[in-house]
Amino acid sequence: MKKAIKYILAIILVLFIASNSIYFKKLSDVKASAAKQFDAAKYARNYLNTQLIPAADKAPQADDLLAILKSSPDTAFKTYSHGLDIGNIRFFMVQGQGTVTAVDENDIYILTKDKQALKIAIEYVFGNALRDAPGLININDFTNTMDLNNIAAEVDKIVRAEVLPPIKSKIKTGDKLTFAGAFELNQEHINLDKIEVIPAILKIDK
Amino acid sequence: MILSQYRSHLVKFQSLIALVLLCIGIGLLSDKFFTVDNGWNVMRQISVNICISVGMTLVVLTGGIDLSVGSVLAIGGAIAAGLLKFGIEIPSGNLYIGFTLLGSILGGLVIGSLLGLFNGWTITKFKVPPFVATLAMLTIARGFTMLYTKGFPISNLGDSFAYIGTGWFIGIPVPVWISAVVIVVAIVITQKTALGRYIYAIGGNEHASKLSGINISKVKIIVYGIAGMLAAVGGIIVTSRLDSAQPNAGMSYELDAIAAVVIGGTSLSGGRGTIMGTVLGALIIGVLNNGLVLLNVSPFWQQVVKGGVILLAVIIDKANSKND
Repeated sequence: MKKAIKYILAIILVLFIASNSIYFKKLSDVKASAAKQFDAAKYARNYLNTQLIPAADKAPQADDLLAILKSSPDTAFKTYSHGLDIGNIRFFMVQGQGTVTAVDENDIYILTKDKQALKIAIEYVFGNALRDAPGLININDFTNTMDLNNIAAEVDKIVRAEVLPPIKSKIKTGDKLTFAGAFELNQEHINLDKIEVIPAILKIDK
Repeated sequence: MILSQYRSHLVKFQSLIALVLLCIGIGLLSDKFFTVDNGWNVMRQISVNICISVGMTLVVLTGGIDLSVGSVLAIGGAIAAGLLKFGIEIPSGNLYIGFTLLGSILGGLVIGSLLGLFNGWTITKFKVPPFVATLAMLTIARGFTMLYTKGFPISNLGDSFAYIGTGWFIGIPVPVWISAVVIVVAIVITQKTALGRYIYAIGGNEHASKLSGINISKVKIIVYGIAGMLAAVGGIIVTSRLDSAQPNAGMSYELDAIAAVVIGGTSLSGGRGTIMGTVLGALIIGVLNNGLVLLNVSPFWQQVVKGGVILLAVIIDKANSKND
């Protein structure tokens, strides 16, 4: 009798815990609701067309930006850089023209009008530069960082799929190139030689 | 006679004396050490190590060792976070099983317990040395964590989940409450239950315990199960504190746990030691870590100092065993 009561109490306890632990829904409903919540791909496409490209058009010229980064880095960071957090990594928008001096599987190397060397990424397009450099995305508009990460990933994906392929197949040393994009710099350890522009616009001039 | 009594007291309270001396030493060298904020900071930090170390103590008391606790911590935290955030999807039945906060915590604890039980089972059933069996589990659990999280953190788990690791209850941080409950339950188990007596008996003399009718396998499996569950408790606290389940969480935590157990006076050959000793050991490790940071000691030197303290504790333990 005592054992039976023990078992009954144990079953009641298990049922109570289970009923407060899990719930069931239709998977299709959950997916539909999740899709409604945030579509990073759609956001990224809209961001690229309505914010990033216009910002790229207004970005400082590479020669000017590199000159001020050399002569007065603090002013350059204050005036032209953006970032979503308070860390040392900051992002700059940049645009310019240059002559291709070399091409390898990862980068296009160019010399600008003022003979400044720059490299433009054509293989590893990752990171937050294109998302953060214009400074147009407000972190407070997002409820979780995953959405923010997904926006950066989707913007990079569009660049890899649409901006790079037409250039990668044709580009060669001596070509004239027009570009606009973003790069990151560590404001505590500024190394201008390591700048790698992630392109949002890349055209071979005719 | 008096000298012998004096020595016996010294041995009994050696961890406590070491802790007090350490606190005084660091307090003299850093004015930030004896502050309320720093005190809670230390307590919060050691709460995870206490959970793991208590489980490790039970294992070590039986004469075993569990090297998998760090990885089990990671998977326990990841499962809890994953269930809370993503639930379980069963596309064939168009079914989504969602988990409440309670459900996700239970899920993490169940996985931790199961992995611990599996450790115990392989050790007793196949006579695999605990060192090897749990070393294997260390990589298995880490691998499963990577598979489950796909190598990415699971973040943004909500305020209720964050409360476990960052909240306060009656003026005391919640992780400290959790570790206090773990300590009390473990003391009750070791001091007031048959299981506790069996644990000490097996560690003291396994053969004699077997002859006296103790089910050695059952006790060991339970003990490893408890160690796994407590590692998962630690994992849930860590995940909650960071608001993110990191796939590489808990790496090398087993070393801190073993250090706390050894410094606390538990014999690595089993049968001798106490939960309170381990708590003191965890406090010493925590205070040492905190003190070295406050004193701006290089992280590389911190490792050297910690290793030296562990070595010293083992040497003292050996000397005491000889004298006993």
